[in-house]
Amino acid sequence: MNTPPEDYELLRWLDGEMNDAEQDAFEARLAADPSLQAEAALMKRLSSDLRSHLPAEMPVPYADFFNSQIQVRLAQDENVQPSPAVSGGWFGWLRLPWLTTAFATAALVLAGLVAWQNSTTAGGDELVHSIYVPKAGVQARSFHSKDARATVLVLDGLEDMPADRKIVGFNISHGEVDEALAATTLFDDHGRAVAVMSKDARNQPLLLTTTNPRG
Amino acid sequence: MKHLALVTLLSAAACLHGQEPPPVQPLPVKKPATDAKVWGALVFATNDDAEAAAMPKVDVPAEFADIPARLGKVFEWKRYEVIGQHLQDVFREYESWVVPTKDLFLKVDSKGPAEGGGMNLHLQFWRDQQVLVKTDAVLKAESPLFIAGPKWRQGRLLFVLVLQKGR
Amino acid sequence: MPAPAAPDPGEVPDNDLVKRCQAGDTRAFDVLVSRYRGRIYAMTHHMIQNETEAWDLAQEAFIKAWRALPSFKMDSAFYTWLYRITHNVVYDWLRKRKLQADGEFDDSRTEHRIAAGAEAVPRGDPAPDTALKNAELGRRIQSAIAKLSPEHQQVILLREVDGMAYEEIAAAVPCSLGTVMSRLFYARKKLQELLKDCYEHAA
Repeated sequence: MNTPPEDYELLRWLDGEMNDAEQDAFEARLAADPSLQAEAALMKRLSSDLRSHLPAEMPVPYADFFNSQIQVRLAQDENVQPSPAVSGGWFGWLRLPWLTTAFATAALVLAGLVAWQNSTTAGGDELVHSIYVPKAGVQARSFHSKDARATVLVLDGLEDMPADRKIVGFNISHGEVDEALAATTLFDDHGRAVAVMSKDARNQPLLLTTTNPRG
Repeated sequence: MKHLALVTLLSAAACLHGQEPPPVQPLPVKKPATDAKVWGALVFATNDDAEAAAMPKVDVPAEFADIPARLGKVFEWKRYEVIGQHLQDVFREYESWVVPTKDLFLKVDSKGPAEGGGMNLHLQFWRDQQVLVKTDAVLKAESPLFIAGPKWRQGRLLFVLVLQKGR
Repeated sequence: MPAPAAPDPGEVPDNDLVKRCQAGDTRAFDVLVSRYRGRIYAMTHHMIQNETEAWDLAQEAFIKAWRALPSFKMDSAFYTWLYRITHNVVYDWLRKRKLQADGEFDDSRTEHRIAAGAEAVPRGDPAPDTALKNAELGRRIQSAIAKLSPEHQQVILLREVDGMAYEEIAAAVPCSLGTVMSRLFYARKKLQELLKDCYEHAA
């Protein structure tokens, strides 16, 4: 970068990176140069505004859950260490990392919740490694259903879909991603674009449909 | 034509949001690498026969036809109607979206093949612009994921994600 | 000096906790997580401006730190080292999301948008209420930070938010002192440019 050294001097002066001699010399120059003074004032103001509007520390939402989830992952790591016996039989199966995770996750997520149906296996959500529910009041629980041969994730406490909302399903045969536009176009089996999934300015998903499915 | 639709939709969206339309980009020439293919479905579970009968259905591919019966082994509803579906490649280095309806959809990030088969996935289940749950899970062809979502009318909306075999 | 220096005399020093972590004590790591989660979350939040993703990335940074702890020689402060890991986690995330292709940290595009007036707030109509103006400035600052490249975000946040000295920034990035100065200089100039209209009104 072609930056004159004077610019770095202003920078170093502002950031308190000069020794006494350098500081005296720079301040003498500053006193004699109104444009440098203006630049220094603007830079100082920018620094002050940045400091006052960007907190060094922010409260972490669900801080306890933040910590406990990390502990779950660490426990999982511990159990991922080479374990030659895991390949055969039920004893080996029980030592697989998911079990620790499943129990720990179950302890975190299932606490206080009633037991699920009889057809579920105890602590059997082996395929679910972590669950995070951002909204207060919503509970998530997961388990493996032997009968259905499926992993089940149940969300309770969600707001009901309004009864007058017309839920219309799509029939999408494939989606194509456009990396340049950071968007995915979804097509039906006739090759018609049905919808586009993109992101808004807040990085939240933005789904646009070609027709109004609610009629 | 496909990209014209994309650009048109994005332009309309930008106008709605009071922004300048995005610049028209050249057509992408390379297809992103994929790790797997998944089938996502929206299922309406209800005890009300009339309500179930009134729902517009989709033709479920034969390989996923047993899903409603398997749902019946987990939940206690009488009817399970597949009302939306989406067959989607899971991109290796890019997020994939599974959108069987505009009301509930899933973001899928591949974290590579799982030991013992299947895929390690990071999933985010969205309702409009609100993320309902995030989870790291292994999806295996023989073990689909059933998500019990919000209640609707006399029943409940279920989301199903299945890893297609042979990929 | 960096902000986290010994806030409480009764507190177990970082290095003691690090040694316990290196011996496999996850409870010691939990103490470090509690001690630094607010700072790490602030950093990820400032960089990506999205609460849920920032939460996930902060958590990912701690998990990566735990995995890397056996090789941490304590030749820098734990916090400096953790910061480096956090930045890499965020940077990898941004790269994976291909935000560069989307223009979010493409400086040339940012320049173009400024030139086209796309960043303008209503001109000549300053809000009479100071609190409102302050809130608007805060929003503009966050948006301007998000428009910098990750490298420029990193040095400006380490300097202005965490109050690190140049040498500490150079150790955290890591890079040379010259690079720290060049990036800081560029980042400030860019921010000045992005926030130009705010300061013009105030003048």
